[in-house]
Amino acid sequence: MDGQHNSTTPTNNTPPNGRKLLVVEDEHFIGELYNRALTKAGYDVTVVVDGLEGLKEAQTDKYDIILLDLMIPNMTGIEILRKLRDPEQTPKFHSKVIITTNLEQREEIRGDIEKQADGYVVKAEVTPRELVEFLNTVK
Amino acid sequence: MNHFQALRIQIRAYLIFVILVENLLIIVGLYYALGHFDISLAVAALGAYAVSVVMTFIITFAATDYALQPLKAVWLTILHILPGEHQIPAPNVSKLPVGRTLVMNLSAQIYQIASVAEQYDTEEQKQEKTLKTRSNLIANSLPLPLLAINKADEVLFANETFVKYLGLTDADVLGKDVYSVLDMSFPSDDTFDTWLKRSKTSTVTATKTWERVRLNRAEDQTALQFDLAAYYNKDNPQGVETLLVLFDHTERYSQDDQAMSFVALAVHELRTPLTLLRGYIDAFDEELGGQLDGELKDFMFKMNAAAQQLTMFVNNILNVARIEGDQLFLRLREGNWAGIVQKVVSDWTLRAQVRGIKLECTIAPDLPTVGVDPVSIYEVVSNLIDNAIKYSGQGKRIVIKSALTKDGLIETTVQDFGVGIPETVMPNLFNKFYRNYRNRAQIGGTGLGLYLSKTIVTAHGGNIWVRSKEGEGTTFGFTVLPYAKLADEQKSGDNKDITTSAHGWIKNHSLYRR
Repeated sequence: MDGQHNSTTPTNNTPPNGRKLLVVEDEHFIGELYNRALTKAGYDVTVVVDGLEGLKEAQTDKYDIILLDLMIPNMTGIEILRKLRDPEQTPKFHSKVIITTNLEQREEIRGDIEKQADGYVVKAEVTPRELVEFLNTVK
Repeated sequence: MNHFQALRIQIRAYLIFVILVENLLIIVGLYYALGHFDISLAVAALGAYAVSVVMTFIITFAATDYALQPLKAVWLTILHILPGEHQIPAPNVSKLPVGRTLVMNLSAQIYQIASVAEQYDTEEQKQEKTLKTRSNLIANSLPLPLLAINKADEVLFANETFVKYLGLTDADVLGKDVYSVLDMSFPSDDTFDTWLKRSKTSTVTATKTWERVRLNRAEDQTALQFDLAAYYNKDNPQGVETLLVLFDHTERYSQDDQAMSFVALAVHELRTPLTLLRGYIDAFDEELGGQLDGELKDFMFKMNAAAQQLTMFVNNILNVARIEGDQLFLRLREGNWAGIVQKVVSDWTLRAQVRGIKLECTIAPDLPTVGVDPVSIYEVVSNLIDNAIKYSGQGKRIVIKSALTKDGLIETTVQDFGVGIPETVMPNLFNKFYRNYRNRAQIGGTGLGLYLSKTIVTAHGGNIWVRSKEGEGTTFGFTVLPYAKLADEQKSGDNKDITTSAHGWIKNHSLYRR
């Protein structure tokens, strides 16, 4: 699996919940794990590994939730987040953005994230199942 | 002219004295030459003497005036070029009866000297201008960035070093608000603007220095770090109310930061495989958990607990590095204490179970909301439970309790019934890397947990303590403040979040709300 645009239809008993979810994550295996767990939980998942592509995909505004890694190639998660929150660059945007990272932030950037993101998750702190539980609470 | 008059009188007096004495000597000489006294001759002599006195006065007056004319001319020439209030006309040297050539030469030289001098300091304005240029030159040759601001906090002057240091032009700086020119972060809430406001209301002059000030700039520019010195003078005649001098230490201070970012990088690299490990364990557990037999199920259990423990250890490393690098930030906010403690306890139930230990949690109802940084305080409770598990020995239960103290603080205790702590090691318990040597071989860990917990609790304004009896068990306890009490102390006003630091950075508040 190359991790790109691999929408999987739910195979489990869980009925699709109809929520579309974009995962911007360059670590293939993590993307794969999240894709698997979230798809099983009924989400319609798309995984993107590149920053620029992630921004382009996010700007289509067809996702309910976006999981955004910060250290990704070509464009950092912070830059993507800023562009998504700038009405001039992203006129229409309703998705909830959850930052998923293992990187510790400098204080200024952390403040920025707190202002602009809808949630923040340290990946090592949550298992895929806990992530699903968390996302189920994101409305 | 007083000295000149005095000189003239002196010369006259001298001449008169000399002539009269001489005349008197002549008369006396005549008298002796005649050899006898003759009344008519005496009368004639007296008459002659009287005439000579009158003549002497007249001649002396005329002669003095005449002889002093060259000196007077030189005197007037000097007076003429002096920048005094009295405008004295230049003397007509060409009509002098005596010493004309000498005086003409002298006055020519005087005029020449005067004209050379005029280039420097004849007019007052010129003098002041020179002074200003000179102080500008001095300020600009100062290799330290210097900034002068007025009562309205606008920049009056910035030396060349300042402008160059910030990579700006004079136009970016002059007349601008000082806070827009210098967007600074300070290591504590004792910031420049609080000092300046305080100085404006309460003092006439004040000086202050700050260390490790950080200049916030656009992302593509390196953050500058410096020490700052400020001098406040309410009544400065030039309107320079405050002077700022910056001492650049960007290189030295950012080396400390880089040490931190190495840790951050290492933590990132550790967390990525941890995320995967925990993800796969999660998947195995979910899909195979029901099918595994006793021993394999137990292994799965232990693998999961070990992965969790490693995650916490990574966090501990990071936090200790933050404390050491003055970078631990706390964002105190209002929270429900029961929720916070219960979350930790539920996260630790598994690891306790692996060791056959039961966690018992009792939280008093109706606790007031607390003011804590949830992430940091989570780690405190985690570390205390982790410790209790490690040192439980044969003990099979750990009791966690939260209640309100008499002083209105929220106290939480974690009690184990294990090996206990020998009295001799109690004083060092909260020190970094300290572990009881007897236990070192048997129990894993780095001795960071309690040091970290103490630092975090203290930064929250609380206390941490321990009570232990060897062979009977140990109780760790710590307090946190109710949110209302904290808000009172901090007088934060509008903001629900309270930013504080355990030696961390704090934004300059007037900018924070920009």
